[in-house]
Amino acid sequence: MSKPFLQIRGIRKEYGPVTAVQDVNLDVAQGEFLTFLGPSGSGKSTTLYILAGFEDPTGGDILLNGESLLSTPSHKRNIGMVFQRYTLFPHLSVGENIAFPLKVRRLPKAEIDAKVRQMLKLVRLEGFEDRKPAQMSGGQQQRVALARALAYDPPVLLMDEPLSALDKKLREEIQHEIRRIHQQTEVTILYVTHDQEEALRLSDRIAVFSKGVIDQIGTGPELYANPATRFVAEFIGDSDFLPCNVVSAGNGRAEIAICETMTVADIPLHGTASSGSKAALMLRPERLLLSKRQSESGLPVTVSDITFLGNNVHVATKTSKGNNLSVRLPFGHEAISGLNRGDAVWLKFDAESAHVFGQ
Amino acid sequence: MLLNLNRLGWWKLVLFGITVLTTAFLLLPILFIAALSFGSSQWLIFPPPSWTLRWYQELFADPRWLASAWTSFQIAIIVTVLSVLLGLATSFGLTRGRFAFREGLKALFLTPMILPVVVLAVALYAFFLKIGLNGTLTGFVISHLVLALPFSILSIGNALEGFDKSIEDAAVLCGASPLEAKVRVTLPAISHGIFSAAIFSFLTSWDEVVVAIFMSSPTLQTLPVKVWATLRQDLTPVVAAASTLLILLTVLLMVLVAVVRKGLKS
Repeated sequence: MSKPFLQIRGIRKEYGPVTAVQDVNLDVAQGEFLTFLGPSGSGKSTTLYILAGFEDPTGGDILLNGESLLSTPSHKRNIGMVFQRYTLFPHLSVGENIAFPLKVRRLPKAEIDAKVRQMLKLVRLEGFEDRKPAQMSGGQQQRVALARALAYDPPVLLMDEPLSALDKKLREEIQHEIRRIHQQTEVTILYVTHDQEEALRLSDRIAVFSKGVIDQIGTGPELYANPATRFVAEFIGDSDFLPCNVVSAGNGRAEIAICETMTVADIPLHGTASSGSKAALMLRPERLLLSKRQSESGLPVTVSDITFLGNNVHVATKTSKGNNLSVRLPFGHEAISGLNRGDAVWLKFDAESAHVFGQ
Repeated sequence: MLLNLNRLGWWKLVLFGITVLTTAFLLLPILFIAALSFGSSQWLIFPPPSWTLRWYQELFADPRWLASAWTSFQIAIIVTVLSVLLGLATSFGLTRGRFAFREGLKALFLTPMILPVVVLAVALYAFFLKIGLNGTLTGFVISHLVLALPFSILSIGNALEGFDKSIEDAAVLCGASPLEAKVRVTLPAISHGIFSAAIFSFLTSWDEVVVAIFMSSPTLQTLPVKVWATLRQDLTPVVAAASTLLILLTVLLMVLVAVVRKGLKS
């Protein structure tokens, strides 16, 4: 990463006794698409609102190009934002909405007209400038909101769950649009969502928020392959957790025993664990191998359900201790043919694909 | 629909009859007054023996009637402006503010609507007697403002509740100062509420008689007070003419409200 463009330094926000954001630190590169991913109440939206200037942090600083933003009021920050709800000005036409930030800046009329045309072209809504917001669909309104937020060439564009009010198909369509517009304009985007799929589809990097802190920042594949906390492992991709006993631990690796019958060595360890302590073993359904043949190195389980999901088949299993483990296999996989509920099978996994989370 | 009119059979006729009777009950007194104002009888005989515009001529020839109409109009206009401005400020405070007793304060602002007008009139009269505001334009304006403000707060407050604050926030991020965002975005978006507030404030003052009787002096009285005073002295059809004009203005304003509402919606 080149010299940090936007720096968030130890941002905190407390509402009385409630801490919404604990200590958020983040460097964002110019032109990056960074997503704040987390459940509601994790502090992601509050952080975004602090960037917009609608909330004042109780501590910390935000630097844009090395200069603090906090003393600048919202309307002078020159930041663009697309909101969760539809925020087009209802009494103005689409064209007037896009022209609004330019008129506020007292640009010459010819320049405004040219920019409005350029923006309508960018969001592919040419010919809609005379429509009123109420005459447009939700997806179109959010595209106009995007055009309005980009019309004044802001250095940073904030997006607060802009697609959450749209249905799934439309959402995917506009995700493509947002990606294209990001590539075309090279604007730095900070995007808030609770939808992991949306985050993975759009972002260069993802910051996973939990309880007011960032648990982990990284690209989608990094978060998936190497989750730093149990929360990240649960949030990105599918995962199951088995209670296990730590046999030995050291150098970020652990040897563990599961269900008293099986030990596995050299699994990546996160958090602290020592010999004899309890921990949780994370396994991903798509990384488990299922075998009908008994084997010493496999974990014995019984099949509790088989679900056909198009190109995948989902096999639900139970360990001897009663823990649930899911296995996902491609349709037509030889291990599934003739498999029935109640069958005894053996599961194997690669130590590198599993993770142990200590206390 | 729960109530299917086509399946009601002869009940439909009953309902129709009730509707006609209710409408007649509401409208007849008004039509009666209007008819009398054009009647030739000096004693307000109904039905009028013949028709004349004489009472209207007398009305417009009498400077006292015109003076009271002008007084009413002045007061109503000032009350309208102040009521909308104060209503706007109050509504923003009540809707956006986060403070203790907000709900209580909201209810307090609406009390003039439920308080008996006579009680309010006596209280205002006693108070204004002390500070010498009885019989003055200021006194009229203040007392009518007390009556009109709840309507402003209600209609502007409702419009503001229904307006998503994010839209104003969006305008601020677009570069408009908080005040500019309110003037250029929020006010136009809640204009229907402001318009209703203005009309209701105007009518509250224009039609008001109880408080006005207490406030008026021989030299300063509003049109409703003049109608009332004239009725007590001599029963002349000029009163009917004045009342008809009062009603006409009210109806015109109501029609204007309906038309503008429709225009704002589309």
